[in-house]
Amino acid sequence: MQRLSISWTAFLLLCLTLCSLLTPAVSVKHENFKTCAQSGFCKRNRAYADTAAAQASTWTSPYALQASSIKFSQGLLTGVVTKKAGDETIRLPLTVSFYESGVARVTIDEEKRQKKDIELRHGSKARKERYNEAEKWAIVGGTTLSSGAATKNGEKKGETRVVYGPAGSFEAVIRHEPFGVEFLREGVVEVVFNGKGLMNVEHWRAKVDKPVVEKKEGETEEEQKARESAVVQEGEDEGTWWEESFGGNTDSKPRGPESIALDISFPGYSHVYGLAEHAGPLSLRETRGESNSEDKTKYSEPYRMYNSDVFEYEMDSPMTLYGSIPFLQAKKKDSTVGVFWLNAAETWVDITKTKSFVKQAVDKVLQNPVSLGVTGSMTTDTHWISESGLLDVFVMLGPTPQDVVEKYSELTGYTQLPQMFSIAYHQCRWNYVTDEDVRDVDRKFDKFTIPYDVIWLDIEYTEGKKYFTWDPMTFPDPLGMQKQLDEHERKLVAIIDPHIKNEGNYPIVEELKSKDLAVHNKDDNIYEGWCWPGSSYWIDCFNPKARDWWVGLFKYDRFKGSAKNTWLWNDMNEPSVFNGPETTMPKDNLHAGGWEHRDVHNLNGLTLINATYDALLSRDKEEASVGGVRPFVLTRSFFAGSQRMGAMWTGDNQASWPHLEASVPMILSMGISGFPFAGADVGGFFGNPSKELLTRWYQAGAFYPFFRGHAHIDTRRREPYLAGEPYTGIITQALRLRYSLLPSWYTAFHEAHTTGAPIVRPNYYVHPPDEKGFGMDDQFYVGSTGLLVKPVVKEGQEGQDIYLADKEKYFDYFDFWTYEGPGTVSVAAPLETIPVLMQGGNVFVRRERPRRSSGLMRWDPYTLVVVIGNSGDAEGTLYVDDGEGFDYQQGAYIHRKFSFKSSTGTLMSEDLAAEGSATSKKAKDYLRSMEKVRVEKIVIVNAPEAWKGKMEVEVGTEYLASKSGLTRKVGMEWHGREEGKAAWAVVRDPAVAIGKGWKIDFTA
Amino acid sequence: MKRVVSLLCLNYAASVYAAGGEGSRPRGVGPEFAKFYKDAVTFSCITNPSVNIPIGRVNDDYCDCPDGSDEPGTSACAHVSPLSPHTPVDQSHARHNISLALPGFYCKNKGHVPTYVPFTSVNDGICDYELCCDGSEEWDHVGGVKCEDRCQQIGKEFRKLDEARQKSLGNAGRKRKELVAEAGRLRKEVEDRLMTLGTEIEGSELKVKQLEGELAEVERREKGKVVRSAVQKVGKMGALVGLAKQRTQELRETLERVRQERDSSRSRLEELESVLSTFKEEYNPNFNDEGGPEPDAAHDRDLNAITQSDKENGIDWEEYEGEEDSDTDVLYAFENYLPVSLRGWVDQKLRDLRVTLIDSGILADTGSSSGESKAVADAQQRLNSARNDLDNSRKSLTEHKEGLDKDFGPDDIFRALKGQCISTDSGEYTYEFCFMDKTTQKPKKGGGHTNMGNFVRVERMTVDEDLPPNGKGLGTCERIAMKHENGQHCWNGPNRATTVILGCAEEGEIWKIMEEEKCVYRMEVGTPAVCEALGQAVPKKADGRDEL
Repeated sequence: MQRLSISWTAFLLLCLTLCSLLTPAVSVKHENFKTCAQSGFCKRNRAYADTAAAQASTWTSPYALQASSIKFSQGLLTGVVTKKAGDETIRLPLTVSFYESGVARVTIDEEKRQKKDIELRHGSKARKERYNEAEKWAIVGGTTLSSGAATKNGEKKGETRVVYGPAGSFEAVIRHEPFGVEFLREGVVEVVFNGKGLMNVEHWRAKVDKPVVEKKEGETEEEQKARESAVVQEGEDEGTWWEESFGGNTDSKPRGPESIALDISFPGYSHVYGLAEHAGPLSLRETRGESNSEDKTKYSEPYRMYNSDVFEYEMDSPMTLYGSIPFLQAKKKDSTVGVFWLNAAETWVDITKTKSFVKQAVDKVLQNPVSLGVTGSMTTDTHWISESGLLDVFVMLGPTPQDVVEKYSELTGYTQLPQMFSIAYHQCRWNYVTDEDVRDVDRKFDKFTIPYDVIWLDIEYTEGKKYFTWDPMTFPDPLGMQKQLDEHERKLVAIIDPHIKNEGNYPIVEELKSKDLAVHNKDDNIYEGWCWPGSSYWIDCFNPKARDWWVGLFKYDRFKGSAKNTWLWNDMNEPSVFNGPETTMPKDNLHAGGWEHRDVHNLNGLTLINATYDALLSRDKEEASVGGVRPFVLTRSFFAGSQRMGAMWTGDNQASWPHLEASVPMILSMGISGFPFAGADVGGFFGNPSKELLTRWYQAGAFYPFFRGHAHIDTRRREPYLAGEPYTGIITQALRLRYSLLPSWYTAFHEAHTTGAPIVRPNYYVHPPDEKGFGMDDQFYVGSTGLLVKPVVKEGQEGQDIYLADKEKYFDYFDFWTYEGPGTVSVAAPLETIPVLMQGGNVFVRRERPRRSSGLMRWDPYTLVVVIGNSGDAEGTLYVDDGEGFDYQQGAYIHRKFSFKSSTGTLMSEDLAAEGSATSKKAKDYLRSMEKVRVEKIVIVNAPEAWKGKMEVEVGTEYLASKSGLTRKVGMEWHGREEGKAAWAVVRDPAVAIGKGWKIDFTA
Repeated sequence: MKRVVSLLCLNYAASVYAAGGEGSRPRGVGPEFAKFYKDAVTFSCITNPSVNIPIGRVNDDYCDCPDGSDEPGTSACAHVSPLSPHTPVDQSHARHNISLALPGFYCKNKGHVPTYVPFTSVNDGICDYELCCDGSEEWDHVGGVKCEDRCQQIGKEFRKLDEARQKSLGNAGRKRKELVAEAGRLRKEVEDRLMTLGTEIEGSELKVKQLEGELAEVERREKGKVVRSAVQKVGKMGALVGLAKQRTQELRETLERVRQERDSSRSRLEELESVLSTFKEEYNPNFNDEGGPEPDAAHDRDLNAITQSDKENGIDWEEYEGEEDSDTDVLYAFENYLPVSLRGWVDQKLRDLRVTLIDSGILADTGSSSGESKAVADAQQRLNSARNDLDNSRKSLTEHKEGLDKDFGPDDIFRALKGQCISTDSGEYTYEFCFMDKTTQKPKKGGGHTNMGNFVRVERMTVDEDLPPNGKGLGTCERIAMKHENGQHCWNGPNRATTVILGCAEEGEIWKIMEEEKCVYRMEVGTPAVCEALGQAVPKKADGRDEL
């Protein structure tokens, strides 16, 4: 740009031009995103549902399973479903898979497209098949077919029954005509497919130009219009079949209409959860409300999943956000079931609930007497609509929330076991502007004795938004900067986005172009759009060659200035395209293999972090001495399966109380959707939080699985030390609390990694039979610690009502005040207090010595907190490993169970490690390195009165016991109850090794 | 963590001066606390002497004392702090003061200066050589860490630097004295000038009085003549007024054009240029701004007044066009109809116009055509001139008085530096700081300068910074700061502002420039001007939140 030589009018013109180019992005609001009515296939399928509802008594689904085509063997049922469409009969191949895990899967394809027996319009180079590779990205396990599944003898005519699942307790009833499936658990219908007859597979058809309705003589225009619409009424509304325009962009739709839809009912189920990511309540709302209705409990739009960069997203809305997990759980008393809709195209889900499921209706619609077993007074119906691809649905029959999440996680992968640093505190800002700025923030945290582990760099560190470069003016010494961070085991996370700047002399873009690794437009040429750098291209991570190339870019000698403590942040991977329709790519863009963008859109973000994860793995594997280091990648966009590669955050929120409030249900929703490593920007991204809001946000953030402070470039600086007293002190306490509880957090992550369990858990998950808690989403438990947290999310609030679901004692974390469940209790919560209760019956672990970073806590001793409840017993676990590498896979870890038994008056540490796991050299070395790490303190909350006056307890260890059976005495202090607070005791320095077996006898 | 040294602005490292023999103190105990650890059997917690423990529990890596004093050599009591989350367990001994009794782990640092290391850093596997050059705080070798004793080397380097620093500080002190002298001289100059001005004003006032008398006399004498001569000019007035009107209109248009040109060349161009480059480089949809910077209305106010239509300005030309009986003096009188702010300007323009008119023969030169009128005019002119002189002197007096009363910092020292500039390169810019004037950002690649704020006042502020080994930094104490506000407006942000915080140095030098938040800058600047004033620096009191 020529400076100064251009008159200001020219500048103004240029500005206006730029503005007009970018206007959609600047003014992103509701109008930038489609409603169902503006998305052709959604509108068509909703209309289909309306028609079916209007003709309820006579409506018949036109799909039928051809009995003669059915084959069943080894857990796999195949057949052909036909669809009557006028004179045509469309053949839709069906497979129903029954897996060892007890998961059933129904997949429907379209024969004509499968055989590529179709013609594409506009000479398109797109693939002809329905997209069938979502599985390749999302599914990693749990698909072993069940050898035990069997067809049931004596089945009725017109249906096929398959018995499967644990001890044959599940049953799938496949109805032939109209086609439908019911899933039963122990004889009770839990899930029904096509019960309302809304199944729809839009088959391929050639475009036929309809005869134009000519104006008859003497006919008024109204009359002509009326006849026109009558024609439309007769047939289907083709208005959105062939081309669709939105926001000035036209989708050429070379394959015509190809949407799929299905209604899935949950008879007797009152609540459904999932369909992340949305800014709304955990328990999903009904979506068929009137748009202008006073009833705010119902949305008028379906939940939408079409990963998008939504600017200033609104609260309590079914609008789409940055990521999608098309997984839904339904909950009724004593049962939880789940469905996973494996489809990466734009997807909408309508939810309706009806009271008192009427038996006749069941019989009529389902024509199935088994439905008599239906109980409960509320039924939830869901209607799933996707633009393209296969109809592919997995069904999990529970019965507990954990069963459902675990099966889902087995399919899509368990959450990564993250490095320890990544579950500590992250300090981010758009932007720390120089390497000296970073160093200064680093020093300031130390000066104020505030712990932190990671500092982040947003896009400004690059030279002109060219990724893999550093601005030589502002970041002349990235390695020196990272060396300073490494001195206290701190890390740097740098952003790398998928858009590659289109500019000369930039080797990355030159390679991208010359190797043809970018996404193509509908004409199969490289696609160019606008993002941060201006004109850009997008890496196509669906292309294996592009992934290999990406992996190479992260080697230390290619990404110069990166170091071993550099980790990654992938933003804008929906992908965000400033000048694209709905701020993303045109749907007719082409990816590797000829798949249209519409087919794979929701997977796009996953493919990028998958490539980045591989790159980081490969980067550090080259270090011969290290068995590899677990990568850390943060992503904004995600799909089912992204949990295997990293963490997510809820995107660009605002510094407002409602956004703080919304963060809790959003994170809980991620947790029950198999992606628990989730957080929201602490402080709020846009805008300046008040000091009270910032403080409350840190207190809430200390209980987010992913805990990062972040801020927009236009906001004032807000690092914790800048808040001033009393705020800085209170925030520091919250941060230190997080750090002290890291052993418990890490244990929860390990549990998620091995069972899929959420890290922060909503009431319904922890107390499945408690109907009162089904709709509760503002309080949660941390892992299996029994810590119950309800952050304050309202301005000026000084107390908090907490709901206790069980008949159990709860104790205030900070003063041991005793509460008795079940019921709602009031907890004082002045600004300096976080409402945290300890549930009786648990043992959890912390490390109390404040350090500068989590890495420097590695050798610190542990404190055990034993919380004795009504039964008098307590139990808890601890998982420990090196916190960074993969040696844990070779047994280099410590996994203990601590149990206090009132009957014997003993606290035991038992090994939970798999038998023989510690035989490798790495395992032995690790355990040796941990030998000196001890338990320094045991706190017993609600200690028995009988211990009054007791001064000593007896400690016995594995070692002592095996050698000589000797025990030793250590001191104990007992403190009686006072003014509502529990009695408590402290065992003084039992000095038992954390990795060893031991027993403490309180009766001795 | 706060260093012990932080109490002194000038001293580099925390110096804990030995207050007794080495003796056999428990690990981590500084000499000034040795007395608490003398008893061979029992230890009483320092600030909670009612809590007694067997001496064997000192440094056993378990925290017994509410004030942490039983663990001077371990990290076991590192959590004893108001910054830690509390449970009844931490406050077991009633609600004692939960601050640490000890400043930290005492590092002897033989060969260098002894110091205290925060307990949070003891046995964490990291050698904190910056504080503990002998590596003694990692005595437990957790994770196999071994911190060698580097005090010889570090001490040597320190002493070398310290020597240089002391020397430099000595020079700086001398320079400051020179500056004080210079400031005194400048002040004296102003005071002298004030005195002169006082005399001048008295003289001028007398002169004005005298000339007023003269004018009255001349007017009285010339009255008849003027009336006569005025008759001759009847009929010319209409043409004259018409011409004047036309000329004024031209002037107004020229002015309008000049204003626009000025706007575009000076303000808008720079702003738009930066807007555009920001736009080009950082365009993002997260900016939800309606557009560029708002025009600064204030500086246009006067010009707007001029360019308003004449009627709004109180001039009704028709009134004059129709009035044949006017006197030329109407040209001088009509300025009375203008806004006060414009009067001087229009007056000047009209005088120029008049000269033009005379030169071009349109207006008769009253001076030559009428001796009598000339006499009046001359008298008037002399009076005006005298009045102008008086006004100027008075203005000057006010300015000087203000200058004298203005805060130029301690010892009036910045008087000596006023207008002096220092600059430094940082990234793609050169930053300039001019004392008592402004701060500026200049792109190295060329292009417009950006005003980062104009000087508004001198302030005192407390800083808490690390002091780098070369001493070029602020340390922890009260410092003199200069506030600069109302710089160039930031797109999507405030007007630029800069706080310049001054530290002692031999030469004027910008040490550090930071954008603390959007368009709010902080400069750390070294100058000899603040060297002595630091003597009065107020040490920051160790408050309850102090970790040491």
